[in-house]
Amino acid sequence: MRDRYGWTLISLHWLTLLLILAAYTLGTLLQDMPLSPTKLKLYAWHKWIGMLVLFLLPLRTLLRWRDGFDHRRDLRPWEASLSGGVHAALYVLMLLVPLFGWLHSSAAGFPVVWFGVLPLPDLVGKDKVLAEVFKELHGSAVNLLVILVVLHAAAALYHHYFRRDGVLARMLPWLRRRT
Amino acid sequence: MKWLLSVLLASLVTPAWAQPWKVDYARSEIRFVIKQMNVPVEGGFKRFNVTADFDVAKPEQGMFRVEVDVAGIDTGSDEGDVEARRPAWFDAARHPKAVFVSKNIRRDGPGRFVMTGDLTVKGRTRPLSVPLVLTAQRPGGWLASGRFALKRTDFDIGGGEWADPSVVANDIDGRFKLLLMP
Ligand code: HEM
Repeated sequence: MRDRYGWTLISLHWLTLLLILAAYTLGTLLQDMPLSPTKLKLYAWHKWIGMLVLFLLPLRTLLRWRDGFDHRRDLRPWEASLSGGVHAALYVLMLLVPLFGWLHSSAAGFPVVWFGVLPLPDLVGKDKVLAEVFKELHGSAVNLLVILVVLHAAAALYHHYFRRDGVLARMLPWLRRRT
Repeated sequence: MKWLLSVLLASLVTPAWAQPWKVDYARSEIRFVIKQMNVPVEGGFKRFNVTADFDVAKPEQGMFRVEVDVAGIDTGSDEGDVEARRPAWFDAARHPKAVFVSKNIRRDGPGRFVMTGDLTVKGRTRPLSVPLVLTAQRPGGWLASGRFALKRTDFDIGGGEWADPSVVANDIDGRFKLLLMP
């Protein structure tokens, strides 16, 4: 029996974390920044990185499904459902956060040209009211994502330092398993 | 004698070419596309004044004058509109109007013309050539439409920190639709 995920999934997990942190930092910086060329650059990078999270998601979901590693085998039933719920919510939010951002961008009349090279289609036509709605949804979904990411990380640390069951080590294989 | 008088009178009430056309501003527009970080972003001007003085049979002898209120710019975002009026861009306080005056209109096919003239923006005058298409409208009147290309450096719009064309492109793709009513 394998005791960890495959390398691709592990890499995608940590890459996604870095991308979400980067998009979050840029998004927060952008909020109170006056318009400048730097702001336009950061906007672009925010969108490019966010879209990368979105595009990696199907690959991640597919690999996760094919991997079939049962990571909840040592959990009590209520722990397994809580963990399953949070993981499912994380996947849904990794879809919704960038999707709402993309919808906001389209409705605001600013199409996304991925990394300045690949023009992505507009999901909706230009519409000021709709743009405001998607902006709010994007922001709310981000807040929810942040809460869940913190919860998720807290659970991992709890497993590592209190349960000492190697849950963190199987996502971070170079970490020495605490026993 | 009598016929001569009536010809003279007739020429007074119906001059050789028509008086300036009335512009239906609600259905007219002057818009542009400019790339920001390689993203085509659409904008336009909300207030402008057009004098179109030409005979449809001989537009070559007519003239167009377009006066744009630069403070009425729509860049696609509120912060962009504020920025565009500042000195680095249009400097709307000192140069409130951008003006195009045609000097020559040449036929370029059925219903197609090439208009050349002077465009003045931010106190700088540059020659501009604009293809013009005249299309008859159903209940009456004409649609004058066309596209033109500008470089923002020619008019010093968006200098200083904004000079980098990889952030905001130098090329501006302009387009207009003017509904001219008799
Ligand atoms: C993992 C992906 C993403 C994260 C974590 C993220 C995070 C954020 C955050 C924290 C903000 C700050 C404003 C707020 O809280 O309302 C923001 C704003 C924004 N995001 Fe994202 N974002 C992501 C993806 C995207 C994508 C893919 C796009 C567009 C294609 C996008 C477009 C925007 C825009 C346009 C704003 C500015 C809203 C405004 O103030 O006008 N985001 N994002």
